[in-house]
Amino acid sequence: MTPRRIALAALAVAAALAAAGRARAAPAPLPVQLALRDGRLRATVDVSAAFPTSLQRELGNGLTNVVAIYVAVVPARGGGPALIYGRVVEILFDVWEETYAVVVKDPHVPQGVRAVLPDFAALRRFLAQERDLDLGPAALVPPGGFVVEARVEVNPVSKEQLQRTREFIASPSGGARGAGSSRSVLGAMASFLLRAPPSDADVVLFRSRPYETAEVGR
Amino acid sequence: MTAPLDLSPRRIRRECVTLAVALAILAFAAPAAGAAPPAATPAPEAGPPPDLRPADPNAPARGAARRYQIEKIRIDGLSHVKEFEVRRRLLVAEGEVLDEERVLLSRLRLLQLGWFSRVETHAERGSERGLVVLVFDVAERNTILVTDLVLASTDPQPLYGGFGLSQQNFLGRGLGLSGAFVYGGAPSGRPQDPDRFAIRASLFAPDVDVPGARNGMVFGGSLLFLHGEELACADPRCDPWRSDLGAAPVIRYSRVGAEGTVGGRPGPFERIHATFRYERLDASRAGAPPPTPDAGPYVLQGRSAVAALVGTWELDTRDDFFLPREGLRALAQVTFGSKLLGGDYEYSRYRLDLDTAYALLGRPLRFQATLGAAQGNPPFFERFYGADYSYFAVGPALARALELNFSTDSRYDQFLAMAGLEYAVPLWASSGFFRRGYVAVGGRGVYSTATLGGSRTSFSSTPLSGDVALRLDTPVGMFNVSVAYWLDIAL
Repeated sequence: MTPRRIALAALAVAAALAAAGRARAAPAPLPVQLALRDGRLRATVDVSAAFPTSLQRELGNGLTNVVAIYVAVVPARGGGPALIYGRVVEILFDVWEETYAVVVKDPHVPQGVRAVLPDFAALRRFLAQERDLDLGPAALVPPGGFVVEARVEVNPVSKEQLQRTREFIASPSGGARGAGSSRSVLGAMASFLLRAPPSDADVVLFRSRPYETAEVGR
Repeated sequence: MTAPLDLSPRRIRRECVTLAVALAILAFAAPAAGAAPPAATPAPEAGPPPDLRPADPNAPARGAARRYQIEKIRIDGLSHVKEFEVRRRLLVAEGEVLDEERVLLSRLRLLQLGWFSRVETHAERGSERGLVVLVFDVAERNTILVTDLVLASTDPQPLYGGFGLSQQNFLGRGLGLSGAFVYGGAPSGRPQDPDRFAIRASLFAPDVDVPGARNGMVFGGSLLFLHGEELACADPRCDPWRSDLGAAPVIRYSRVGAEGTVGGRPGPFERIHATFRYERLDASRAGAPPPTPDAGPYVLQGRSAVAALVGTWELDTRDDFFLPREGLRALAQVTFGSKLLGGDYEYSRYRLDLDTAYALLGRPLRFQATLGAAQGNPPFFERFYGADYSYFAVGPALARALELNFSTDSRYDQFLAMAGLEYAVPLWASSGFFRRGYVAVGGRGVYSTATLGGSRTSFSSTPLSGDVALRLDTPVGMFNVSVAYWLDIAL
């Protein structure tokens, strides 16, 4: 996969993120450890609440699953993010080896790095602990306090994906008077069924406690 | 502590744009190979971190799968739908190498049928190493929809109503069966007259495999039985008989007809149909003598027949039938009625519909337009009734129900132009009965005339209309709670 395609995929994932509807709020504040290194703000976050053990059935389905994780620094008073980091993890459970192959892609390594994990417990730990994430220059941390927000999506449907499969969503009707419109009435439901959140578990949002800007030593 | 979440859509969208731009820039700037691994996330208590290695650039687009062969395809969850109807729509086959892209497309194709509320896929071990069983796990959905729901009142018909149902997967074979009726009873003031009613039934096979037809073909047929009356007054309100519409001049008619359709899909977003229609008509005058010999809508008195060929081309690239945000639906239709085909009417009819969606301030904006022309001497129901294209009509005209006109206005025009804009404000999307809802605010202009360049009809002298409607998407059909509907009855 070329860097250009990675960028497009990231764009598509981000677009899907923008279009996503209802999201489930995590019950507790996001545990965050912040550190300042070489003038850049780094964060370690625990998003284990987004990966319950019930997810094993979905992630272990023998087909590729995608987990997208976004971490952002936003002003405590509200507004757009000042710093943001995104990562996409592709997960494939090998039904014969009974191992999980993961490919992690982020802006630093758009072509991805690969690892093989022995079981779901290891996969869960791997996904839950997002360590030492480079959020960006500490100089951009908003004055007046901020919070760290995280968004985890399991198998987001990207706009690119929908676009590629529009042919199967297209639904011209039939009949001179539209009487045979079975496909037009129901056909395009595919787009909705794909996009509508089938359960509350697909998107999880996290929000940390408020931080003072001074806490990161800026 | 439960922290409130304020990831508003606007903020998320802004984040996404920022992220996308950042990812794009970084992706282009990143070294092609041998880059430092990302901030790895080994489990804190899992001993050594996993061995992270740069991914193979030649690996498949999704994941880094071993190439397994599909030994068997299993479909779970079927009760009503025939299994072979599902299998013939899959884009993967037993014996092939597992291709996840085609598995996804197969899933989409099954969802597109509208027969299932859920289609999940997974792979299981096959009978020996290297083989897998591909499982499609489906949940069947209700495929009976309410297509027509009418309840209204006019001066000539104090109460009338109708109902229509459509079974989208008849016999579990993908056939579309639909039926609808409208019943009004005897007209006001003439209890001895025959009841006014219309019945329509259709059966369509929307996707029939035919050798040589790449995208399958469409076959279908429909039946229509209708008994109605049109007032034959000199003015749309029928003022001379306002106090006793039962004494007004009328044209009483019945229609019994059938049509057969054959068509195909030349492209993924297109359909072309050819339809042959044949109807027997029986029309007669009743009530007071008409003000002029030819007063009232045009139809041959006595028995006559309509025979016509209808060619329809339709393009539909909309992303969603309920609330489209992009794409275009275009329909072009030509009708040719002739004695050559066995009818008594020589005419041609042309219709062009456009419905295209944009986004304005992040919300869907639809532009809708219709152009129509009828040449020759078509029977009145093959002409254009302006109120059918308007949100509401100022005056006595009212949109027809199953081609039955219950108003006093019997003006049918030969030329029609309609253009309108509709802005939508989505309200919710959920998995409940009311799956989606939005408020539509729209405005339309309709111009229709009996002859090209001729004066406007009474209806189209007030050609602008508007609507505020709540549109609901439910498992049993789409419902429209419209202010204009009630205005149409009231005005």
